[in-house]
Amino acid sequence: MPGGNNTPVSLVWQPVPGATGAQHYPLIRKIDTISSNSYLIQTGDVILLIDPGGIAEQSAQLAQVIEECREEQDRPVFVFLTHAHLDHFLGTQSVPAFAHTGAAVFAVQEAGATALERGDAKLTQAALLGQAIAPVRVGLPLLTSTRSGSFGVPVSMAFSHGATVTIIREETGGGLAGERISFGPGPALDVYHTPGHSPDSICLRMGGLLFIGDVLFAANPGIAGICGWDQAALIRSLDGIKALLSDGGIEFVLPGHGRVIAAADALRMFESIRSDAVALENIAELNHERAIETAAFAEECMEQVNELFTIMAGRLYYVSYVMEELGEEDMAAEIRALIKGDVIDELLEAFRSFADEHHKGGGVSIHLALKAGQVIAKLERSFDGAQLARIIDPALVQRAARLLSDYTTMLRGFCPPRELAECDLVRHLEAQVTGLTVPACSDDDLLSSVDDDSAFAGLLLQRIGMQPLLADLAFTFSSGEKQLMVAVDHDDLTDLVTYLLEDLVGTGAAAIALRVNRDGNNAIITLAGTGCTDTGAAKSGRGFLGRLSDRAGGELSCTDDGLTREYAIRITGVI
Amino acid sequence: MEITTVTRDGATILSIAGRIDTATAPALEQAINKEIEGGNRKVLLNFSAVTYISSGGLRVLLATAKKLKNPGDKYALCCLAAEVHKILKLAGFTSIFSIYPSEGEALAGW
Repeated sequence: MPGGNNTPVSLVWQPVPGATGAQHYPLIRKIDTISSNSYLIQTGDVILLIDPGGIAEQSAQLAQVIEECREEQDRPVFVFLTHAHLDHFLGTQSVPAFAHTGAAVFAVQEAGATALERGDAKLTQAALLGQAIAPVRVGLPLLTSTRSGSFGVPVSMAFSHGATVTIIREETGGGLAGERISFGPGPALDVYHTPGHSPDSICLRMGGLLFIGDVLFAANPGIAGICGWDQAALIRSLDGIKALLSDGGIEFVLPGHGRVIAAADALRMFESIRSDAVALENIAELNHERAIETAAFAEECMEQVNELFTIMAGRLYYVSYVMEELGEEDMAAEIRALIKGDVIDELLEAFRSFADEHHKGGGVSIHLALKAGQVIAKLERSFDGAQLARIIDPALVQRAARLLSDYTTMLRGFCPPRELAECDLVRHLEAQVTGLTVPACSDDDLLSSVDDDSAFAGLLLQRIGMQPLLADLAFTFSSGEKQLMVAVDHDDLTDLVTYLLEDLVGTGAAAIALRVNRDGNNAIITLAGTGCTDTGAAKSGRGFLGRLSDRAGGELSCTDDGLTREYAIRITGVI
Repeated sequence: MEITTVTRDGATILSIAGRIDTATAPALEQAINKEIEGGNRKVLLNFSAVTYISSGGLRVLLATAKKLKNPGDKYALCCLAAEVHKILKLAGFTSIFSIYPSEGEALAGW
């Protein structure tokens, strides 16, 4: 971790600003979901460990540092958890210095204390991550309901390892319930209840340092909605933390994952997180079942993302190639720069490797879902859809953007939007396939622009970049009805038909026929490719396309004899 | 990815097996360049065992097209799996070089 000015540095003892005689020792990890950062504090009275982490090696490393401190001056040890999620404490369960009852006293907010003592697999997220936990004895429950009414009244507690602490209930200006814990004459520790990410989340403050646990990530996809998550409580907590930071005196914010943040920067981050949190109404609980479903959707999505981004990059390379052939080297270079092909390839490859390892090692679904979320977020930043849509088929770009957005939506806990609306299927499909057979830019358009260099260049690029999918094969569209009114999701049906037509084109079909017919109360769309050179693996009508078909308002099936592939979309309820 | 190179009817046929991705595309480009620099300017890529192509792989195919555009040069692909064919078709590459169902059909016109 880079240190600048007095920014805390990892794995070094350094003074706690604003707390005379106190030192702290941060252990900052590269961000992952397995283990949190850890923070040690020592004063003349006590040794405090905040979040010992999720892996045994980390907890053992911290136990060693504590041992060295105690050799210099023996003091009681307390282990504070910013919340009782597995990645913040699991490492202690196999390290004798922590696992041995009485060697160190655990201090956790009351709800977390109850969960730990019961070995609660849901609240600790052990169930979500497919892990087992042993019950943990919590000697110092924090912010208890029994102390809630005694504001300003000191309560003393004595422990078997020799410590005596004094606890005073307090409330911050921002409305956070708090307790000030004194371990002796040295600096005290302030504890603030900040539920939302979990019911037991707390922030801890000594001097100018504020330890905040995972509240920074509480509105993130794949985290919002976990068991114990509470939107309203989160928003209140964020307001309280913002007030704490605005009051001054806090120099650095030390999160459960990631780098140390200057207080002023943290304040801006909390503003943004609050906006994200406000938007998270009615999200589904992120439990084990939803993690499995999301991971399956992640793999289906990534397969399509892989294909679409490769096609978009390829289309740009193609346009760039043609422009080079025309002697327009500068324009060719500009076009190539519109998409970061190498970055995209690396991201897609990283997901594939992760998924391979996941399947080999029986990995945890939520990790695969989160990995896909990371890759998709980076993909969204790697291309400029508006610029691309000026050169290559805008429908292709929009479909890629919708795919990324749908996945993020699902990961955040929302169902991808399905907006069924009345639609004349015959007119809808006719318009769609016309767009797939006629060039975006006609000969007349091109000829009429020859006197305007800029307009001509733009139209030429479009002409090269937007090649109609069905232009150079025998395509027919027919309907047994003049009009067929049904309720469908317009965008999803358009995407589905495009995916299916692209699939048929990929089989090398010499001819494709699209038919719309009425069968009783059903509308049937049939897409048949004949004279295929290679139909590849037979399609089942389930998976990604099946899910898309459901969202479009239809039911997809497929037949394939190696030479002909035929898709049928059945839409029930002709209006 | 594995590449097997044979000469048939005056053409160099590179048969590629596996994935053409970020990691393997440079090896494919190197193998093709070696043939072109050796004076073999009729190049057929047999993709029957190619299971995946990334944008890096597409770039190699275009770079080869640039090198083989002199009179008398020949460059084509054959035996594409449906998924790979779809990518090339939708990327627009089928208007730069020809794609044939088999080696025999590709070489028949050379």
